[in-house]
Amino acid sequence: MRYVKLKKEKIREFLLALQDYGELYAPIKVSEKYFDFRRITNEQVDEVVLDYNRTLRPPRRFFFPEKEVLFTFNSKKVEMYENKEAFTSEPVVLFGVHACDIVGLRIMDSRFIDDQPDPYYRARREKGIIIGISCLPDEYCFCNVRRAEFVDSGFDLFLSEVEDGYVIRVGSVKGHKIIDATEHLYVKVTKKDSDDLTAFDVKKSKMFTVSGNWDSLRYTLELNDEHPVIWMRESEKCLGCGNCTITCPTCRCYDVKDYPNLDGETGVRVRIWDSCQFREHGLVAGGHNFRPTKESRFKNRYMCKNAYCKEVTTAYCVGCGRCTYFCPAGINYKQNLIEIRGGI
Amino acid sequence: MISDRTKLENPYEDHLATIIDYRDLTSDTRYYKLKFVEPEVQEHTGDYKPGQFAMFSIPGVGEAPFSISSTPTRPAFLEFGIRKVGSFTDALFKKKEGDTVYIRGPYGNGFDMKSMEGKDIVIVSGGLGAVPLRSVLLYLEDKRELYNNVFFLNGARTPEDMLFKEDFLAMHAREIIETHLTVDKDPTGEWKHNVGVVTTLFEKINGRVDKDNAYALICGPPVMYKFVIKELLKMEFSKKNILMTLERRMKCGQGHCGHCAIHGVYTCLDGPVFNYWDYERMVELI
Repeated sequence: MRYVKLKKEKIREFLLALQDYGELYAPIKVSEKYFDFRRITNEQVDEVVLDYNRTLRPPRRFFFPEKEVLFTFNSKKVEMYENKEAFTSEPVVLFGVHACDIVGLRIMDSRFIDDQPDPYYRARREKGIIIGISCLPDEYCFCNVRRAEFVDSGFDLFLSEVEDGYVIRVGSVKGHKIIDATEHLYVKVTKKDSDDLTAFDVKKSKMFTVSGNWDSLRYTLELNDEHPVIWMRESEKCLGCGNCTITCPTCRCYDVKDYPNLDGETGVRVRIWDSCQFREHGLVAGGHNFRPTKESRFKNRYMCKNAYCKEVTTAYCVGCGRCTYFCPAGINYKQNLIEIRGGI
Repeated sequence: MISDRTKLENPYEDHLATIIDYRDLTSDTRYYKLKFVEPEVQEHTGDYKPGQFAMFSIPGVGEAPFSISSTPTRPAFLEFGIRKVGSFTDALFKKKEGDTVYIRGPYGNGFDMKSMEGKDIVIVSGGLGAVPLRSVLLYLEDKRELYNNVFFLNGARTPEDMLFKEDFLAMHAREIIETHLTVDKDPTGEWKHNVGVVTTLFEKINGRVDKDNAYALICGPPVMYKFVIKELLKMEFSKKNILMTLERRMKCGQGHCGHCAIHGVYTCLDGPVFNYWDYERMVELI
């Protein structure tokens, strides 16, 4: 791998240079408590936050938007036209992605690219640029037990914090091209930087509140399918709002709806993020619901995130902590998993 | 339907098809016969397996999945049996002969008819379950010599409610497949066949199935499976040879939208045909 070092005072210039590669998005503070990826132009460069905890919305939305027109149609002529926007749009340059979210995107790829490619997602993803950044965990994080605290691939560039700047790892051809074109910004990586990286890792690993490997949760959850307390107690608190799935970096359920225009002839076929926490998710025509109770829907999310992943070695959960952090009912996903496991 | 050669770059894109025939099967269920408009798609109409399904689309209304009811051995058209139960079927039922709808597919694993060659086959359907299994029945009639004993047990609530009743009565008369029909109740008093739930038909085939070389294909309302499977296990059917085809909410048909996921498998890719081993393993299956 190729390594260069970006000193702290050059970050601004680096961000400005990234705009040459597409539409730049980076984390900024959007409210008292929350951060989110937002479009960065010259004026906003100084607002970019490098040490945010987690963004409100996960990065998948840049490749799989909340709402997307798949087709436009003319119902009178019975004709449908593919929406070309995903194929012609500017590439997205996503700066400041945490390791867990990079794993999350890889999980998205496993469903949306690997076997049955989704053309809209693939087009955006393939031209997109991912620039990762190292981070330190808070009490909500458990990416370590999900094996998502460090990534070796899935990014074009990855910035790891050292004392006076960042060591950049180059992860793709696109990444090499960016570094080649901005070579004047960088200095050589020293032995001190390498020591700093190790010190950062040591510090990070001591900050996690859980340890070990939670891959075995698959079995623990299946064995506790009839857990006498947890499912009923926790799903009782649930408001069914779907925040946990909307903020999840790996949730992919979507609904498809046709919206006719007021002219009565034309309209759009749109896909919108759906949530398994909604009652309609398992409802079929005729009124039968395959997940009729809140408990069954609640359990489904826990099972899906921990036991249903077959495509990649990790679970669908990457331990980002969003579903707990953004839950209006205060349901603590991480704590519930610990309870089902019977220990950390 | 759509072979690799004619596969579009966008898998959500549909093909236009014309309704060439339709008739009411019951008060709320209708038969549709369709033909593709584009010749290069029509040429591949028969590229599907019994048990697979297709996505229908009406611009402005939406999309919905339906089981294919015709057989690939008669590849000139597609047939469906569709019950009016929601907003999509409301719009579909307004369509008449000569009108068009969009179709994409086929989707799902379907039945592996090859692996059943030379074996005994017991087909059990109830109510709307006759729709996907009609595809198998017609297929078997056309390739009857490749299979050993074939039995068809079909149940409905009343004679009026029996889908494809004329087809099945004709099938009974043709005797290519041994057909047994039953209704739960017969208010008309004119029903000449069995009266009782579908499991009462099992005595007609008892002892006549080679349990070590037999498949059972089931489709019906969720409540039916439990009782039918009990009968089949009593007859010592192998669990992996008890095949059932299931229903789920579906939006894409290609393992993306997540609605049909059960225990980590996608009904639209790994199903809708599952065997009894899957049933035992997957909590939410039926």
